[in-house]
Amino acid sequence: MAKVIIFAGGFGSGKSELAINYALDRSQYAENIILADLDLVNPYFASRYVRDLLEASGIRVLAPAGDLSCGDVPGLPPEIIGFLRGNDEIIIDVAGDEVGSMVLGYLSRYIKDSDYQLYLVLNPYRPFAQDLDSVMELRLLLEGAARLTFTGLISNPNLMGETNPEMIRNGHQIVSDYAQAMRLPVCHLTVEEKFYHDLVCEYGTILQTITLYLKPEWMQ
Amino acid sequence: MEKILMKGNEALAEGAIIAGCKAFFGYPITPSSEIAEYMARKFPKIDGVFVQAESELAAINMVYGGAATGHRVMTASSGPGISLKQEGISFIAEAELPCLIVNVSRGGPGLGGIQPAQSDYFQATRGGGHGDYRLIVLAPSGVQEMMDFAIEGFDLADRYRTPVMIMAEGTLGQMMEPIIVREPVIQFYDKPWATNGCQGREPNIVNTLHLSADYLEERNHHLQKKYDAIASREKRAESYLTEDADLVVVAFGLMARIAKKAVMEARKSGIKVGLIRPITLWPFPDAEISKAAQTTKRFLSVEISMGQMIEDIRLAVAGRVPVDFFGRIGITPNPEEVFRAIMQVAEREGI
Repeated sequence: MAKVIIFAGGFGSGKSELAINYALDRSQYAENIILADLDLVNPYFASRYVRDLLEASGIRVLAPAGDLSCGDVPGLPPEIIGFLRGNDEIIIDVAGDEVGSMVLGYLSRYIKDSDYQLYLVLNPYRPFAQDLDSVMELRLLLEGAARLTFTGLISNPNLMGETNPEMIRNGHQIVSDYAQAMRLPVCHLTVEEKFYHDLVCEYGTILQTITLYLKPEWMQ
Repeated sequence: MEKILMKGNEALAEGAIIAGCKAFFGYPITPSSEIAEYMARKFPKIDGVFVQAESELAAINMVYGGAATGHRVMTASSGPGISLKQEGISFIAEAELPCLIVNVSRGGPGLGGIQPAQSDYFQATRGGGHGDYRLIVLAPSGVQEMMDFAIEGFDLADRYRTPVMIMAEGTLGQMMEPIIVREPVIQFYDKPWATNGCQGREPNIVNTLHLSADYLEERNHHLQKKYDAIASREKRAESYLTEDADLVVVAFGLMARIAKKAVMEARKSGIKVGLIRPITLWPFPDAEISKAAQTTKRFLSVEISMGQMIEDIRLAVAGRVPVDFFGRIGITPNPEEVFRAIMQVAEREGI
């Protein structure tokens, strides 16, 4: 049975960066890691752009190939269904919002039979993630499009380069409140490496560090 | 003030709402679609109107109708869609209807690709449509400016009764930055010309058909006078380290930001290089360029195109010093590439 980890959420919540980091982390412990970049909405800032880095770590990358890697048309890598029926560990990165999660709706018949985790990635500093009603609406839209139920939240509170520990604490509290109201566990709190030592005593094992791979250097 | 993390397209859409925009008419196209999606999500909650039109032609004509009622209205698209809108834009310019037209631009010609580009510069600044008209064209260089220029754009549009275009590279629409959300605009311009019900007064007519030759010419003189006023008051640019520069780089939008990093690097290498960033593409800030031409030895136009703004730079320089070009399309040059282009010119010319 395949093990499937899916990162879904609103546009710009951090799904692709999390999927890349998760895949790189898992590749240290297992050999059969697959990253499926199923962002068929928009080719800007997609995880397939770090294909070389992922492949160098032994990760197999499934993504729209060739010219279609720069397209905004549905170009699902055909092998995905075969792999979902196999025994690999597959990390799925979809595009944002319900339009992005629609691809999961098509694949849900195969995912349902696997050992899967569907994470809702939330950054409370993004529009449409700033109040419970909006997040509940997002959840309903995504679950409807994906025909799958969320198994947990990932708290990814950040303002990119202007993030500080206080902002992470406040943002994570907001996400924790959403989690309680929606009866979903917060599975991870993701922060850049530089914040880890400030926060590890407070948050323990849910705290995970991430490196940003898709942000252009000139934006630093 | 608390910040929020926004994509450029979202910031622009929110900026339009802050400016009091009441209606959006559009047809989706990458990389501009998030503007329409944002409006589709927000407008039903704030009593606004969102219409996904059946085509770009329909959308721009809906903008004509919406703007004629005196409300702040807008559309957004990308190169191929903006091409389709050109007839309507010409009509809107002649009818003197204020509105905001956004081009989150991608590479052409033809369908091209969906990677960022600045190759719609000619289309934006020369007018792709027919007749003697101009658009005010603003080029933001960051996500905060996507919001701020939407607010500013509506203000300029109402002040001059003219369509305003915001032109932003695809990357600017897609990338995220933390920004301050501005306060809602509460003061608006009177619009005695609007077709908003004529009880107690003569009907207002919004029309662009002028069969009388004399009246047609009069209309054109009227428009030209307005464009002259805009050109004399609204040219905007930022200059950076140009006072002692032997080489002045000119770049707009996101490219200006990347070029600035390259200029800083070149300064570290001892090259006297500066940067001029045109903020209004029309009216083009020729005075800023002309002033620099008195002291600099050379210009370098850096664009995500095959060279379009370079023509405006050459007009402003008026043959006094040479103007070089560096550009790519489909791929946004990074600071290192621009730095190399600067160094290449500097070494070749002994700067």
